[in-house]
Amino acid sequence: MSALGHYLEEEGIATVAISLIRPQTENTKPPRALWVPFELGRPFGPPNDRAFQKRVILAALRLLERTDGPVIIEDFADDDPRGQPDPAWHPPQMQAATRDGSADVSAARIEAEIGSLRGAHDRWVAQHGRTTVGLSGLSMAECGQTVVAWLRGEVPSSPREGVSTILMLRFAVDDLKAYYLEAASAGAARPSSRQLGDWFWNNTAVGTAIIALRAFGLASDDERAKAILGNFMVPGARVAMLG
Amino acid sequence: MTRLTDLLPAQAKRLAELECPDFTTRPWVTGPALAQRRVAIVSSAGLVVRGENPFRGRDPDYRVIPGSTKPADLLMSHVSINYDRTGFQEDWNVVFPLDRLNELAADGAIGSVAQTHYSFMGATDPVTMETNARELAGRLKQDRVDAVILSPV
Repeated sequence: MSALGHYLEEEGIATVAISLIRPQTENTKPPRALWVPFELGRPFGPPNDRAFQKRVILAALRLLERTDGPVIIEDFADDDPRGQPDPAWHPPQMQAATRDGSADVSAARIEAEIGSLRGAHDRWVAQHGRTTVGLSGLSMAECGQTVVAWLRGEVPSSPREGVSTILMLRFAVDDLKAYYLEAASAGAARPSSRQLGDWFWNNTAVGTAIIALRAFGLASDDERAKAILGNFMVPGARVAMLG
Repeated sequence: MTRLTDLLPAQAKRLAELECPDFTTRPWVTGPALAQRRVAIVSSAGLVVRGENPFRGRDPDYRVIPGSTKPADLLMSHVSINYDRTGFQEDWNVVFPLDRLNELAADGAIGSVAQTHYSFMGATDPVTMETNARELAGRLKQDRVDAVILSPV
């Protein structure tokens, strides 16, 4: 991000970068950056907190008026209030968790899960006016079937021209995660990302199947499958928790 | 939640020490007061307008996000899974603060908001983005942008 700032600034456009990883920014030395203490993925802080977000943006933009650069790296002092868990949040009730991520166990359970979350996901969409599902262009049922087919060792052909089968798998997994996490967030409670992640990876059949996909990829002789399934399915911090 | 300190030590070290281009220049562009500036968002979140091609791995190019884009039509196709996406799911301003910029323009805190915004995919080696970034500067100038807020994930 900071490197982009460098190129744009060299071309005559003034830039200010939000920094989530201070050491990276210190190495790159962009013209101006505001480091924020929020979790990765939330450069402007808490969702649906207009006043807080505005403070972050203004703190960043005001660096454009400073005359003491380059290089300016300032710190935003306040942390994201939404980083804390919400005890009022109750995860969707799922069938008892299983560590069996085999294709046969997964197929029926994933299909049932996707159906059982439909109502909650509809409520989410009504509440927020949007969904971030849509990278694959597949239905949720098809996304689930794609994961199961890979677990069976079948490589389903990609329905989209120019999108490889493994890229389609990655998009299907991203769509499943988005659908589940949106459904689990429907309602008035404000779960933290950690609460949602714990539920998804520990209590859903699709989470278990994605963990199995990673193991499947790591055991594969195909270097591309090994790299993509190994690195782009289960977050590294979650892998460590799984032991 | 994922902060740098919550990542695996090896991951955190890799991110913190990620090889950065060793720039020999220190560019610095000045401009008018904030209340006169025209501001664009350049994200590295792999954002893409629904229906257009998502980023595939580490593409070095960028996607165009018209200012008229609705929240329902913005998707995230970043290759990394080691960061939170639920904030963006709940409110696109967490990553793409277009509503906040429009409010700041209405309040007079900034001059105006660009007609068009852009997204790269941040896991790409920045050196490979250089040509596209320099070309993007020309587009931004055509839109009379004189301030860019760079938003990572």
